[in-house]
Amino acid sequence: MTAAGVLDVLAGDRSRPRCEQVSVVVNRELSDRYRLLRFRSAAISERARAGQFVMLGPLGRSAPVLPRPMAIYTRDADAGVVDIVYGVVGYGTRALAEMTEGDLLAVTGPLGRGFVIEEGVERVLLVGRGVGICAMTTVAQDLAPTSVQVTAVLSGRNRESVLGQDVLRDCGADVLNVTDANGSSAVDAVRERLVRRFDDDPPQQILTSGSERLTRLAADLGARWNARTLVSVEAHMACGLGYCHGCAVGNGDGATEAPLVCRDGPVFGLRV
Amino acid sequence: MELGDLELANPVMPASGCFGPELAELTPVDTLGAVVTKTVFAQSRPGNRTHRITEVPGGMLNSVGIPSRGTTVFRDSGLGGYAGLGAPVVISIGGLSAQEYWQVVDELGACEHAAVEVNVSCPNLEHGGATLDTDLDAMTHVVSGVVARSTKPVLVKLSPQLHGMAAAARAAQDAGATAVTVCNSFPAMAVNANSRASELGNGTGGLSGPSVKPLALRLVWTAAQAVDIPVVGCGGIGSADDVAEFLIAGATAVQVGTATFAQPDVMPRIIGELPALTERLGAERIADLIGTLTIRSEDWQ
Repeated sequence: MTAAGVLDVLAGDRSRPRCEQVSVVVNRELSDRYRLLRFRSAAISERARAGQFVMLGPLGRSAPVLPRPMAIYTRDADAGVVDIVYGVVGYGTRALAEMTEGDLLAVTGPLGRGFVIEEGVERVLLVGRGVGICAMTTVAQDLAPTSVQVTAVLSGRNRESVLGQDVLRDCGADVLNVTDANGSSAVDAVRERLVRRFDDDPPQQILTSGSERLTRLAADLGARWNARTLVSVEAHMACGLGYCHGCAVGNGDGATEAPLVCRDGPVFGLRV
Repeated sequence: MELGDLELANPVMPASGCFGPELAELTPVDTLGAVVTKTVFAQSRPGNRTHRITEVPGGMLNSVGIPSRGTTVFRDSGLGGYAGLGAPVVISIGGLSAQEYWQVVDELGACEHAAVEVNVSCPNLEHGGATLDTDLDAMTHVVSGVVARSTKPVLVKLSPQLHGMAAAARAAQDAGATAVTVCNSFPAMAVNANSRASELGNGTGGLSGPSVKPLALRLVWTAAQAVDIPVVGCGGIGSADDVAEFLIAGATAVQVGTATFAQPDVMPRIIGELPALTERLGAERIADLIGTLTIRSEDWQ
Protein backbone atom coordinates (compact mmCIF):
# COMPACT_ATOMS: atom_id res chain seq x y z
CA MET A 1 0.00 0.00 0.00
CA THR A 2 1.28 3.45 -0.88
CA ALA A 3 -0.40 6.83 -0.90
CA ALA A 4 -0.92 6.27 -4.62
CA GLY A 5 -2.70 2.93 -4.45
CA VAL A 6 -2.47 -0.73 -3.54
CA LEU A 7 0.59 -2.60 -4.82
CA ASP A 8 0.43 -6.26 -5.85
CA VAL A 9 3.51 -8.43 -6.24
CA LEU A 10 3.60 -9.84 -9.76
CA ALA A 11 4.16 -13.52 -10.39
CA GLY A 12 6.74 -14.89 -12.76
CA ASP A 13 10.42 -15.63 -12.92
CA ARG A 14 13.34 -13.25 -13.15
CA SER A 15 16.38 -13.42 -15.36
CA ARG A 16 19.53 -14.65 -13.69
CA PRO A 17 21.80 -11.76 -12.65
CA ARG A 18 25.56 -11.50 -12.91
CA CYS A 19 28.11 -9.36 -11.14
CA GLU A 20 30.79 -7.95 -13.37
CA GLN A 21 33.48 -5.34 -13.54
CA VAL A 22 32.70 -3.41 -16.69
CA SER A 23 34.16 -0.40 -18.45
CA VAL A 24 32.50 2.94 -19.04
CA VAL A 25 31.97 3.60 -22.75
CA VAL A 26 30.20 6.97 -22.55
CA ASN A 27 29.41 9.29 -19.65
CA ARG A 28 27.95 12.59 -20.84
CA GLU A 29 25.33 15.22 -20.21
CA LEU A 30 21.93 14.28 -21.58
CA SER A 31 19.92 17.32 -20.52
CA ASP A 32 20.21 20.18 -18.08
CA ARG A 33 19.58 17.84 -15.16
CA TYR A 34 20.55 14.37 -16.27
CA ARG A 35 23.53 12.40 -17.55
CA LEU A 36 23.78 9.23 -19.62
CA LEU A 37 26.26 6.49 -18.79
CA ARG A 38 26.89 3.62 -21.20
CA PHE A 39 28.78 0.52 -20.09
CA ARG A 40 29.83 -2.62 -21.88
CA SER A 41 28.27 -5.92 -20.80
CA ALA A 42 27.28 -8.57 -23.30
CA ALA A 43 25.49 -10.64 -20.66
CA ILE A 44 23.42 -7.87 -19.10
CA SER A 45 22.50 -6.32 -22.46
CA GLU A 46 21.28 -9.70 -23.62
CA ARG A 47 19.44 -10.79 -20.47
CA ALA A 48 17.81 -7.55 -19.36
CA ARG A 49 14.05 -7.59 -19.58
CA ALA A 50 11.95 -4.49 -19.86
CA GLY A 51 11.79 -2.59 -16.58
CA GLN A 52 14.69 -4.33 -14.87
CA PHE A 53 17.51 -2.49 -13.13
CA VAL A 54 21.18 -2.80 -12.20
CA MET A 55 23.16 -1.95 -9.06
CA LEU A 56 26.30 -0.09 -9.99
CA GLY A 57 29.10 2.05 -8.66
CA PRO A 58 32.72 3.03 -9.28
CA LEU A 59 35.46 0.66 -8.13
CA GLY A 60 38.28 1.71 -5.84
CA ARG A 61 39.07 2.51 -2.25
CA SER A 62 37.66 6.03 -2.35
CA ALA A 63 34.50 4.92 -4.14
CA PRO A 64 31.09 5.23 -2.49
CA VAL A 65 30.42 2.38 -0.08
CA LEU A 66 27.10 1.41 -1.61
CA PRO A 67 26.18 0.82 -5.23
CA ARG A 68 23.15 2.69 -6.60
CA PRO A 69 20.07 1.16 -8.22
CA MET A 70 19.64 2.39 -11.79
CA ALA A 71 16.88 1.54 -14.25
CA ILE A 72 18.11 0.15 -17.53
CA TYR A 73 17.30 2.98 -19.96
CA THR A 74 18.15 1.08 -23.11
CA ARG A 75 20.09 -2.07 -23.92
CA ASP A 76 21.60 -3.15 -27.20
CA ALA A 77 22.42 -6.85 -27.28
CA ASP A 78 24.10 -6.56 -30.71
CA ALA A 79 26.54 -3.92 -29.49
CA GLY A 80 26.73 -5.45 -26.00
CA VAL A 81 26.07 -2.16 -24.22
CA VAL A 82 23.66 -0.87 -21.60
CA ASP A 83 22.64 2.76 -21.00
CA ILE A 84 21.52 4.23 -17.71
CA VAL A 85 20.41 7.81 -16.97
CA TYR A 86 20.98 9.57 -13.67
CA GLY A 87 20.60 12.95 -12.04
CA VAL A 88 23.51 14.21 -9.98
CA VAL A 89 21.76 14.49 -6.64
CA GLY A 90 24.13 13.18 -3.99
CA TYR A 91 27.35 11.51 -3.04
CA GLY A 92 26.96 8.39 -5.18
CA THR A 93 25.80 10.08 -8.35
CA ARG A 94 28.51 12.77 -8.03
CA ALA A 95 31.08 9.98 -8.05
CA LEU A 96 29.41 8.45 -11.12
CA ALA A 97 29.51 11.82 -12.90
CA GLU A 98 33.29 11.95 -12.47
CA MET A 99 33.88 8.68 -14.31
CA THR A 100 35.42 8.78 -17.77
CA GLU A 101 35.70 6.37 -20.67
CA GLY A 102 37.55 3.21 -19.70
CA ASP A 103 36.99 3.59 -15.94
CA LEU A 104 35.79 0.45 -14.20
CA LEU A 105 32.36 0.02 -12.68
CA ALA A 106 31.08 -2.80 -10.48
CA VAL A 107 27.71 -3.81 -11.89
CA THR A 108 25.19 -6.41 -10.75
CA GLY A 109 22.22 -7.15 -12.92
CA PRO A 110 19.78 -7.46 -14.48
CA LEU A 111 17.70 -7.34 -11.30
CA GLY A 112 14.08 -7.37 -10.20
CA ARG A 113 10.76 -8.09 -11.83
CA GLY A 114 10.16 -5.95 -14.89
CA PHE A 115 7.12 -4.89 -16.89
CA VAL A 116 5.13 -7.64 -18.53
CA ILE A 117 2.90 -6.79 -21.49
CA GLU A 118 0.16 -9.35 -21.64
CA GLU A 119 -0.71 -11.45 -24.62
CA GLY A 120 -3.32 -9.83 -26.89
CA VAL A 121 -2.72 -6.27 -25.69
CA GLU A 122 -2.98 -3.80 -28.60
CA ARG A 123 -2.57 -0.43 -26.91
CA VAL A 124 -0.23 0.52 -24.07
CA LEU A 125 -0.08 3.87 -22.30
CA LEU A 126 3.14 4.95 -20.55
CA VAL A 127 2.89 7.78 -18.01
CA GLY A 128 6.18 8.92 -16.54
CA ARG A 129 7.96 11.86 -15.00
CA GLY A 130 11.59 12.83 -14.61
CA VAL A 131 14.10 10.03 -14.29
CA GLY A 132 11.20 7.63 -13.70
CA ILE A 133 10.63 7.64 -17.47
CA CYS A 134 13.88 5.68 -17.79
CA ALA A 135 12.26 2.66 -16.14
CA MET A 136 9.83 2.34 -19.07
CA THR A 137 11.90 2.99 -22.19
CA THR A 138 12.89 -0.68 -22.47
CA VAL A 139 9.19 -1.54 -22.82
CA ALA A 140 9.06 0.61 -25.94
CA GLN A 141 12.24 -1.08 -27.18
CA ASP A 142 10.57 -4.47 -26.86
CA LEU A 143 7.31 -3.35 -28.46
CA ALA A 144 8.96 -1.52 -31.39
CA PRO A 145 8.94 -4.54 -33.73
CA THR A 146 5.36 -5.49 -32.78
CA SER A 147 1.98 -4.07 -33.75
CA VAL A 148 1.28 -2.84 -30.21
CA GLN A 149 0.58 0.91 -30.19
CA VAL A 150 2.52 2.77 -27.52
CA THR A 151 1.50 6.21 -26.32
CA ALA A 152 3.84 7.90 -23.86
CA VAL A 153 2.98 10.87 -21.66
CA LEU A 154 6.35 12.29 -20.60
CA SER A 155 6.37 14.85 -17.82
CA GLY A 156 9.16 17.19 -16.80
CA ARG A 157 9.97 20.72 -15.65
CA ASN A 158 10.48 22.03 -19.17
CA ARG A 159 10.69 20.67 -22.67
CA GLU A 160 14.48 20.28 -22.57
CA SER A 161 14.44 18.29 -19.35
CA VAL A 162 11.88 15.71 -20.48
CA LEU A 163 13.77 12.45 -20.78
CA GLY A 164 13.19 9.63 -23.24
CA GLN A 165 11.60 11.59 -26.09
CA ASP A 166 14.07 10.44 -28.75
CA VAL A 167 14.24 6.82 -27.62
CA LEU A 168 10.48 6.49 -27.50
CA ARG A 169 9.95 8.16 -30.88
CA ASP A 170 12.64 5.92 -32.40
CA CYS A 171 10.68 2.96 -31.07
CA GLY A 172 7.55 4.19 -32.84
CA ALA A 173 5.75 5.53 -29.78
CA ASP A 174 3.34 8.45 -29.94
CA VAL A 175 4.93 10.94 -27.53
CA LEU A 176 3.04 13.64 -25.59
CA ASN A 177 5.29 15.99 -23.66
CA VAL A 178 3.78 17.78 -20.69
CA THR A 179 5.73 20.35 -18.73
CA ASP A 180 5.56 22.47 -15.61
CA ALA A 181 6.77 25.40 -17.71
CA ASN A 182 3.54 25.63 -19.72
CA GLY A 183 1.23 24.15 -17.09
CA SER A 184 0.39 21.06 -19.16
CA SER A 185 1.85 18.69 -16.54
CA ALA A 186 -0.85 19.47 -13.96
CA VAL A 187 -2.55 16.19 -13.11
CA ASP A 188 -6.04 17.46 -13.94
CA ALA A 189 -4.85 18.67 -17.32
CA VAL A 190 -3.19 15.32 -18.06
CA ARG A 191 -6.28 13.47 -16.94
CA GLU A 192 -8.57 15.54 -19.14
CA ARG A 193 -6.33 15.09 -22.15
CA LEU A 194 -6.08 11.33 -21.71
CA VAL A 195 -9.78 10.86 -21.05
CA ARG A 196 -10.60 12.82 -24.21
CA ARG A 197 -8.14 10.83 -26.22
CA PHE A 198 -8.72 7.33 -24.91
CA ASP A 199 -12.25 7.06 -23.50
CA ASP A 200 -13.61 5.62 -26.76
CA ASP A 201 -10.68 3.34 -27.40
CA PRO A 202 -8.75 2.85 -24.15
CA PRO A 203 -5.37 1.17 -23.66
CA GLN A 204 -5.46 -2.32 -22.18
CA GLN A 205 -2.38 -1.64 -20.08
CA ILE A 206 -1.03 1.45 -18.33
CA LEU A 207 2.54 1.66 -17.06
CA THR A 208 3.78 4.43 -14.80
CA SER A 209 6.88 5.57 -12.95
CA GLY A 210 8.47 8.64 -11.41
CA SER A 211 5.63 10.56 -9.78
CA GLU A 212 3.24 9.73 -6.98
CA ARG A 213 0.57 12.05 -8.41
CA LEU A 214 0.84 10.47 -11.85
CA THR A 215 0.79 7.03 -10.23
CA ARG A 216 -2.50 7.91 -8.58
CA LEU A 217 -3.79 9.15 -11.93
CA ALA A 218 -2.68 5.93 -13.63
CA ALA A 219 -4.48 3.89 -10.97
CA ASP A 220 -7.65 5.95 -11.50
CA LEU A 221 -7.50 5.63 -15.28
CA GLY A 222 -6.76 1.91 -14.97
CA ALA A 223 -9.96 1.51 -12.97
CA ARG A 224 -11.91 3.72 -15.42
CA TRP A 225 -10.79 1.73 -18.45
CA ASN A 226 -10.40 -1.66 -16.79
CA ALA A 227 -6.77 -1.55 -17.92
CA ARG A 228 -4.08 -3.56 -16.12
CA THR A 229 -1.88 -0.95 -14.44
CA LEU A 230 1.73 -1.45 -13.42
CA VAL A 231 4.04 0.89 -11.53
CA SER A 232 7.83 0.89 -11.21
CA VAL A 233 8.87 2.00 -7.71
CA GLU A 234 12.13 3.64 -6.59
CA ALA A 235 13.77 3.00 -3.20
CA HIS A 236 17.03 3.25 -1.31
CA MET A 237 18.69 -0.16 -1.29
CA ALA A 238 22.08 -1.71 -0.61
CA CYS A 239 22.09 -5.15 -2.22
CA GLY A 240 19.51 -5.15 -5.02
CA LEU A 241 18.87 -8.86 -4.46
CA GLY A 242 16.73 -8.99 -1.32
CA TYR A 243 19.06 -9.95 1.49
CA CYS A 244 19.72 -6.49 2.95
CA HIS A 245 16.00 -5.77 3.42
CA GLY A 246 16.68 -2.07 2.96
CA CYS A 247 13.95 -1.34 0.41
CA ALA A 248 10.66 -2.47 1.93
CA VAL A 249 7.82 -0.67 0.20
CA GLY A 250 6.03 0.66 3.27
CA ASN A 251 6.06 -0.38 6.89
CA GLY A 252 4.45 -3.81 6.76
CA ASP A 253 1.32 -4.96 8.55
CA GLY A 254 2.75 -5.14 12.05
CA ALA A 255 3.69 -8.80 11.83
CA THR A 256 5.26 -9.32 8.43
CA GLU A 257 7.53 -7.22 6.30
CA ALA A 258 6.20 -5.26 3.32
CA PRO A 259 7.36 -6.47 -0.13
CA LEU A 260 10.88 -5.50 -1.14
CA VAL A 261 11.30 -3.20 -4.14
CA CYS A 262 14.39 -5.05 -5.39
CA ARG A 263 13.15 -8.62 -5.07
CA ASP A 264 9.39 -8.32 -5.39
CA GLY A 265 9.48 -5.25 -7.69
CA PRO A 266 10.52 -2.76 -8.84
CA VAL A 267 7.40 -3.27 -10.98
CA PHE A 268 4.20 -3.93 -9.05
CA GLY A 269 0.58 -4.28 -10.02
CA LEU A 270 -1.31 -1.11 -9.08
CA ARG A 271 -4.91 -0.80 -7.91
CA VAL A 272 -6.94 2.12 -6.57
CA MET B 1 40.75 -22.67 11.39
CA GLU B 2 38.58 -23.94 14.21
CA LEU B 3 35.93 -22.34 16.33
CA GLY B 4 35.41 -25.21 18.75
CA ASP B 5 33.88 -28.01 16.71
CA LEU B 6 33.23 -25.66 13.80
CA GLU B 7 35.96 -26.28 11.27
CA LEU B 8 36.47 -23.57 8.67
CA ALA B 9 38.22 -24.23 5.38
CA ASN B 10 39.32 -20.59 5.49
CA PRO B 11 38.76 -17.67 7.87
CA VAL B 12 36.23 -15.72 5.76
CA MET B 13 32.48 -15.71 6.39
CA PRO B 14 29.76 -13.12 5.90
CA ALA B 15 28.42 -10.91 8.66
CA SER B 16 24.82 -11.63 9.58
CA GLY B 17 22.40 -9.54 7.54
CA CYS B 18 24.93 -8.84 4.80
CA PHE B 19 24.51 -12.10 2.94
CA GLY B 20 21.76 -14.20 1.44
CA PRO B 21 21.34 -17.37 -0.60
CA GLU B 22 20.59 -15.04 -3.54
CA LEU B 23 24.34 -14.50 -3.82
CA ALA B 24 24.81 -18.13 -4.90
CA GLU B 25 23.59 -17.01 -8.35
CA LEU B 26 26.46 -14.56 -8.60
CA THR B 27 29.46 -16.05 -6.88
CA PRO B 28 30.80 -19.41 -5.60
CA VAL B 29 29.55 -19.23 -2.02
CA ASP B 30 30.67 -22.82 -1.39
CA THR B 31 34.21 -21.44 -1.15
CA LEU B 32 33.35 -19.49 2.01
CA GLY B 33 34.60 -20.65 5.39
CA ALA B 34 30.98 -20.55 6.56
CA VAL B 35 27.76 -18.72 5.81
CA VAL B 36 25.90 -16.79 8.49
CA THR B 37 22.15 -16.27 8.32
CA LYS B 38 20.22 -13.12 8.98
CA THR B 39 19.16 -13.14 12.63
CA VAL B 40 16.23 -15.50 13.19
CA PHE B 41 13.61 -14.63 15.80
CA ALA B 42 11.01 -16.95 17.28
CA GLN B 43 8.12 -14.97 15.85
CA SER B 44 7.53 -13.20 12.58
CA ARG B 45 8.44 -9.52 12.74
CA PRO B 46 8.21 -6.79 10.10
CA GLY B 47 11.42 -4.86 10.74
CA ASN B 48 11.68 -1.10 11.12
CA ARG B 49 10.00 1.77 9.35
CA THR B 50 11.47 2.94 6.06
CA HIS B 51 13.89 4.64 5.21
CA ARG B 52 16.16 1.91 6.39
CA ILE B 53 19.45 2.66 4.66
CA THR B 54 21.58 5.70 3.95
CA GLU B 55 25.18 6.26 2.95
CA VAL B 56 27.59 8.46 4.91
CA PRO B 57 31.23 9.20 4.08
CA GLY B 58 33.13 5.93 4.46
CA GLY B 59 30.17 3.88 5.52
CA MET B 60 26.49 3.16 5.61
CA LEU B 61 23.81 3.46 8.25
CA ASN B 62 21.07 0.89 8.51
CA SER B 63 17.99 0.62 10.63
CA VAL B 64 16.54 -2.44 8.95
CA GLY B 65 15.45 -3.79 12.34
CA ILE B 66 15.79 -7.48 11.46
CA PRO B 67 12.60 -8.60 9.79
CA SER B 68 12.14 -12.33 10.38
CA ARG B 69 9.61 -14.89 9.29
CA GLY B 70 9.97 -16.77 12.56
CA THR B 71 11.95 -19.88 13.45
CA THR B 72 9.62 -22.59 12.20
CA VAL B 73 9.19 -21.01 8.76
CA PHE B 74 12.96 -20.56 8.59
CA ARG B 75 13.62 -24.14 9.65
CA ASP B 76 11.04 -25.67 7.33
CA SER B 77 12.14 -23.68 4.27
CA GLY B 78 15.58 -25.26 4.03
CA LEU B 79 16.97 -22.76 6.53
CA GLY B 80 15.63 -19.93 4.41
CA GLY B 81 17.62 -21.26 1.44
CA TYR B 82 20.93 -21.59 3.31
CA ALA B 83 20.86 -25.39 3.37
CA GLY B 84 22.70 -26.81 0.39
CA LEU B 85 24.91 -23.78 -0.30
CA GLY B 86 27.93 -26.00 0.31
CA ALA B 87 29.35 -24.11 3.29
CA PRO B 88 28.78 -24.67 7.02
CA VAL B 89 25.71 -22.74 8.17
CA VAL B 90 25.93 -20.51 11.24
CA ILE B 91 22.44 -19.50 12.35
CA SER B 92 22.23 -16.07 13.92
CA ILE B 93 19.55 -16.00 16.61
CA GLY B 94 17.82 -13.11 18.33
CA GLY B 95 15.14 -12.42 20.89
CA LEU B 96 13.58 -9.73 23.00
CA SER B 97 13.75 -11.90 26.12
CA ALA B 98 15.81 -14.88 27.30
CA GLN B 99 12.84 -17.17 26.65
CA GLU B 100 12.65 -16.01 23.05
CA TYR B 101 16.32 -16.80 22.40
CA TRP B 102 15.90 -20.24 23.93
CA GLN B 103 12.72 -20.88 21.98
CA VAL B 104 14.64 -20.33 18.73
CA VAL B 105 17.30 -22.86 19.78
CA ASP B 106 14.66 -25.38 20.83
CA GLU B 107 12.74 -24.99 17.58
CA LEU B 108 15.86 -25.27 15.45
CA GLY B 109 16.45 -28.62 17.16
CA ALA B 110 18.46 -31.02 15.12
CA CYS B 111 18.09 -29.25 11.78
CA GLU B 112 21.29 -29.17 9.79
CA HIS B 113 23.51 -26.34 10.98
CA ALA B 114 27.09 -26.00 12.09
CA ALA B 115 26.84 -23.36 14.82
CA VAL B 116 24.67 -20.63 16.27
CA GLU B 117 25.64 -17.01 16.70
CA VAL B 118 23.76 -15.24 19.50
CA ASN B 119 22.99 -11.67 18.45
CA VAL B 120 23.08 -9.84 21.77
CA SER B 121 23.98 -6.58 20.22
CA CYS B 122 21.79 -5.31 17.45
CA PRO B 123 21.39 -1.61 18.18
CA ASN B 124 18.26 -1.26 16.10
CA LEU B 125 15.75 -3.03 18.23
CA GLU B 126 13.26 -1.16 20.32
CA HIS B 127 14.45 -2.63 23.57
CA GLY B 128 14.37 0.38 25.80
CA GLY B 129 17.28 1.63 23.74
CA ALA B 130 19.58 -0.84 25.47
CA THR B 131 21.12 -4.00 24.08
CA LEU B 132 21.44 -7.21 26.04
CA ASP B 133 25.19 -7.04 26.43
CA THR B 134 25.07 -3.72 28.23
CA ASP B 135 23.76 -5.82 31.15
CA LEU B 136 26.32 -8.59 31.54
CA ASP B 137 24.20 -10.58 33.98
CA ALA B 138 21.34 -10.62 31.47
CA MET B 139 23.70 -11.62 28.67
CA THR B 140 25.22 -14.41 30.76
CA HIS B 141 21.73 -15.69 31.55
CA VAL B 142 20.77 -15.82 27.86
CA VAL B 143 24.05 -17.26 26.59
CA SER B 144 24.35 -19.96 29.23
CA GLY B 145 20.79 -21.01 28.42
CA VAL B 146 21.60 -21.20 24.71
CA VAL B 147 24.76 -23.21 25.43
CA ALA B 148 22.75 -25.62 27.59
CA ARG B 149 20.16 -26.15 24.84
CA SER B 150 22.36 -26.30 21.75
CA THR B 151 24.61 -29.16 20.73
CA LYS B 152 26.51 -26.84 18.38
CA PRO B 153 29.29 -24.30 18.90
CA VAL B 154 27.86 -21.01 20.20
CA LEU B 155 29.30 -17.72 18.98
CA VAL B 156 28.27 -14.53 20.77
CA LYS B 157 28.18 -11.38 18.65
CA LEU B 158 28.99 -8.39 20.84
CA SER B 159 28.13 -4.77 20.30
CA PRO B 160 30.89 -2.19 19.97
CA GLN B 161 31.20 -1.29 23.61
CA LEU B 162 34.08 1.06 23.50
CA HIS B 163 34.88 0.79 27.20
CA GLY B 164 33.47 -2.55 28.25
CA MET B 165 34.65 -4.93 25.56
CA ALA B 166 37.06 -6.92 27.73
CA ALA B 167 34.41 -7.52 30.39
CA ALA B 168 31.73 -8.37 27.81
CA ALA B 169 34.00 -10.86 26.05
CA ARG B 170 34.95 -12.46 29.38
CA ALA B 171 31.30 -12.73 30.39
CA ALA B 172 30.51 -14.51 27.12
CA GLN B 173 33.41 -16.88 27.70
CA ASP B 174 32.31 -17.58 31.26
CA ALA B 175 28.78 -18.30 30.01
CA GLY B 176 30.19 -21.07 27.84
CA ALA B 177 30.53 -19.34 24.46
CA THR B 178 32.74 -21.11 21.92
CA ALA B 179 33.84 -17.80 20.40
CA VAL B 180 32.95 -14.11 20.39
CA THR B 181 32.26 -12.06 17.27
CA VAL B 182 33.59 -8.51 17.60
CA CYS B 183 31.65 -6.49 16.68
CA ASN B 184 28.22 -5.43 15.44
CA SER B 185 27.54 -2.06 13.78
CA PHE B 186 28.12 1.17 15.72
CA PRO B 187 25.08 3.11 16.99
CA ALA B 188 24.94 6.28 14.93
CA MET B 189 22.69 8.73 13.15
CA ALA B 190 22.54 10.93 10.07
CA VAL B 191 20.71 14.25 9.98
CA ASN B 192 19.34 16.09 6.96
CA ALA B 193 19.75 19.79 7.67
CA ASN B 194 17.32 20.85 4.94
CA SER B 195 14.42 18.83 6.29
CA ARG B 196 15.71 18.90 9.88
CA ALA B 197 14.82 15.21 9.98
CA SER B 198 16.82 12.07 10.57
CA GLU B 199 17.80 10.28 7.38
CA LEU B 200 16.54 6.99 8.80
CA GLY B 201 12.93 6.22 9.58
CA ASN B 202 14.00 4.76 12.91
CA GLY B 203 15.90 7.91 13.88
CA THR B 204 19.14 6.08 14.62
CA GLY B 205 20.86 3.10 13.04
CA GLY B 206 24.08 1.12 12.91
CA LEU B 207 27.20 2.41 11.18
CA SER B 208 29.26 -0.07 9.17
CA GLY B 209 31.79 -0.03 6.37
CA PRO B 210 35.40 1.11 5.96
CA SER B 211 35.13 3.95 8.50
CA VAL B 212 34.56 1.56 11.43
CA LYS B 213 37.58 -0.65 10.67
CA PRO B 214 40.05 1.08 13.04
CA LEU B 215 37.45 1.04 15.82
CA ALA B 216 36.71 -2.65 15.27
CA LEU B 217 40.41 -3.55 15.11
CA ARG B 218 40.98 -2.04 18.52
CA LEU B 219 38.00 -3.89 19.96
CA VAL B 220 39.18 -7.20 18.46
CA TRP B 221 42.61 -6.60 19.95
CA THR B 222 41.06 -5.80 23.34
CA ALA B 223 38.81 -8.86 23.28
CA ALA B 224 41.57 -11.20 22.11
CA GLN B 225 43.70 -10.24 25.08
CA ALA B 226 40.80 -10.70 27.49
CA VAL B 227 39.70 -14.22 26.59
CA ASP B 228 41.08 -17.64 25.71
CA ILE B 229 38.29 -18.50 23.25
CA PRO B 230 38.63 -17.46 19.58
CA VAL B 231 37.57 -14.00 18.42
CA VAL B 232 35.84 -13.51 15.07
CA GLY B 233 36.67 -10.04 13.77
CA CYS B 234 34.09 -7.91 12.01
CA GLY B 235 34.02 -4.27 10.95
CA GLY B 236 34.84 -2.64 7.63
CA ILE B 237 36.66 -5.59 6.08
CA GLY B 238 36.81 -5.36 2.28
CA SER B 239 40.15 -6.83 1.19
CA ALA B 240 42.63 -9.61 1.92
CA ASP B 241 44.91 -7.04 3.59
CA ASP B 242 42.06 -6.14 5.94
CA VAL B 243 41.68 -9.83 6.83
CA ALA B 244 45.38 -10.03 7.66
CA GLU B 245 45.12 -6.96 9.91
CA PHE B 246 42.28 -8.50 11.91
CA LEU B 247 44.09 -11.84 12.27
CA ILE B 248 47.26 -10.10 13.40
CA ALA B 249 45.21 -8.13 15.95
CA GLY B 250 43.99 -11.42 17.38
CA ALA B 251 41.03 -12.65 15.32
CA THR B 252 40.88 -16.33 14.37
CA ALA B 253 38.35 -15.71 11.60
CA VAL B 254 36.57 -12.71 10.11
CA GLN B 255 33.17 -11.62 8.88
CA VAL B 256 32.68 -9.44 5.82
CA GLY B 257 29.58 -7.26 5.76
CA THR B 258 29.06 -3.98 3.95
CA ALA B 259 31.70 -4.67 1.28
CA THR B 260 29.50 -7.38 -0.25
CA PHE B 261 26.84 -4.83 -1.20
CA ALA B 262 29.12 -3.04 -3.65
CA GLN B 263 30.93 -6.17 -4.80
CA PRO B 264 28.88 -9.34 -4.37
CA ASP B 265 31.91 -11.49 -5.19
CA VAL B 266 34.26 -9.81 -2.69
CA MET B 267 34.51 -12.77 -0.28
CA PRO B 268 35.51 -15.43 -2.85
CA ARG B 269 38.00 -12.93 -4.29
CA ILE B 270 39.53 -12.30 -0.85
CA ILE B 271 39.77 -16.04 -0.22
CA GLY B 272 41.55 -16.45 -3.55
CA GLU B 273 44.08 -13.81 -2.55
CA LEU B 274 44.88 -15.25 0.88
CA PRO B 275 47.64 -17.73 -0.18
CA ALA B 276 49.68 -15.04 -1.93
CA LEU B 277 49.12 -12.66 0.98
CA THR B 278 50.25 -15.28 3.49
CA GLU B 279 53.43 -15.80 1.52
CA ARG B 280 54.04 -12.06 1.17
CA LEU B 281 53.73 -11.67 4.94
CA GLY B 282 56.28 -14.43 5.49
CA ALA B 283 53.90 -16.90 7.10
CA GLU B 284 53.59 -20.56 6.27
CA ARG B 285 49.89 -20.76 6.98
CA ILE B 286 47.33 -17.98 7.30
CA ALA B 287 46.67 -19.14 10.88
CA ASP B 288 50.25 -18.28 11.77
CA LEU B 289 49.29 -14.60 11.58
CA ILE B 290 46.77 -14.83 14.43
CA GLY B 291 47.63 -12.63 17.39
CA THR B 292 51.11 -11.73 16.17
CA LEU B 293 50.65 -7.99 16.71
CA THR B 294 53.56 -6.13 18.24
CA ILE B 295 53.38 -2.58 19.47
CA ARG B 296 55.52 -0.32 17.35
CA SER B 297 58.60 0.97 19.11
CA GLU B 298 61.43 3.00 17.67
CA ASP B 299 64.50 4.16 19.50
CA TRP B 300 65.75 7.65 18.81
CA GLN B 301 69.02 7.45 16.93
